[in-house]
Amino acid sequence: MTDATATFALANPASHMPSFDATAPQRAYQDLGACPFTGPDGKKVLAKRADIVQFNRHPAVRASDGVHFPLGATEPLIPLGLDGAEHRFYRALLDPLFAPKAIARLKPAVRSLVDELVDGFIADGQVELFGRFCEALPGAIFVELLGLPASDLGHFVQFKHAVIRPQGETVEEQMAYAERAGDVMRAYLNQVLDEREASGEPGDDLIGGFLSTSIDGRRLARAEILNIVYLLVIAGLDTVAASLSCIIAWLAEHPSERATLVADPSLLPQAVEELLRFESPVMYGSRYVTEDFELNDWTFTAGEWVDVVWAAANVDPGAFDDPLAVQLTRSRNAHIGFASGPHRCLGSNLARMEMITALEQFHVRIPDYWITPGERPSFTAHGVRLAHPLPLSFTPRSGDSR
Amino acid sequence: MTSLRITIDDELCAGHGRCYSLHPELFEADDRGYPIVRQVAVSVEGTPGARDAVEACPESAITLSSSSEGT
Repeated sequence: MTDATATFALANPASHMPSFDATAPQRAYQDLGACPFTGPDGKKVLAKRADIVQFNRHPAVRASDGVHFPLGATEPLIPLGLDGAEHRFYRALLDPLFAPKAIARLKPAVRSLVDELVDGFIADGQVELFGRFCEALPGAIFVELLGLPASDLGHFVQFKHAVIRPQGETVEEQMAYAERAGDVMRAYLNQVLDEREASGEPGDDLIGGFLSTSIDGRRLARAEILNIVYLLVIAGLDTVAASLSCIIAWLAEHPSERATLVADPSLLPQAVEELLRFESPVMYGSRYVTEDFELNDWTFTAGEWVDVVWAAANVDPGAFDDPLAVQLTRSRNAHIGFASGPHRCLGSNLARMEMITALEQFHVRIPDYWITPGERPSFTAHGVRLAHPLPLSFTPRSGDSR
Repeated sequence: MTSLRITIDDELCAGHGRCYSLHPELFEADDRGYPIVRQVAVSVEGTPGARDAVEACPESAITLSSSSEGT
């Protein structure tokens, strides 16, 4: 695992563009797609929407080389690290647990969590919204989704921080740190699963789903469930927090669009899609080529890693009219903010429901908000795009006004 | 009467769910979150919605074709 840093895109490919600005990176993403680009590490960078969509569905393109695994994992993460028939098997098992019908039951929980979090600061007139809201909400919903007590959230947050920001001077030390955190979380989850199995009732939550789901009589083994939850914690807790922070930061600086959404929440589903396109919080991913092939202007060689930049595809002038403008009711919005092809984000429906429901209820409680004068949100340049801190001001209200 | 026929290429569809989110009158989600065409033959009134769904599909998996049989 010594060359792990060479295989996965740790640095934002768009950061090589002279126009790069972490606060407003859209122009740099567009520049990245203007002509074929190879990064300083020699990796091809795909930035045009059509190239990426066709590339991702090519049978010689995989999300893993079967040797290197992202996010401190020591085995292929299910389903991200698998391809072909094995990947299709797990997706057939997991898709129903994250389908719109399955996650709709969580809407009331999202609304009451928004109320609970907003009650904590609504009287103050200002807040650092990332920590107090954007990050707190998906964590609490994740625990609710699994069917675990809210007091268990700390197990997952500690694990997530250890894996995403591992301590240590060297890559080896950091990986060992992340692996130890993984061991601690697996021990905790094993206990949860033991208790649930002993109770005789799988339950209608995600843990229950993992214990009872089957395809052609084949059920998930304990090791598989632990592996799946490992990825869910990382993928589910960080990305929704990041997306919420980007969307609210944008709305805070665009009062007329915000007022439109406050007045008509039925526009939120389309508005969220448009802001996901524009902000593209999950900015890029990596793919591995298993056989030589040609596609459009590119020649790919077996054994090479390629960076695919979702954020660039989403501002491709060949795919979107006036892509640098936000149009809340944009038509022809075929964005790939949830990736494309067989590895389309498993949690996309959950993420959408959380964002739409959270914004709707947040707007009920706090309809007017702006960036705190004299302060600025700070956007990350690499990894997942998020606004932290997100200093927000609003008209203070008493906490029991709902 | 000439109508348009909606088809989804299952090989291309990756379950983004844009079609049934935007146009629940034409598409619905199955238990996996993949789309089912509710109305294969689209009426004149349904045509703009169907075209909208075609253009919003990230995988270009939806096609509209002429169908004189009006199935």
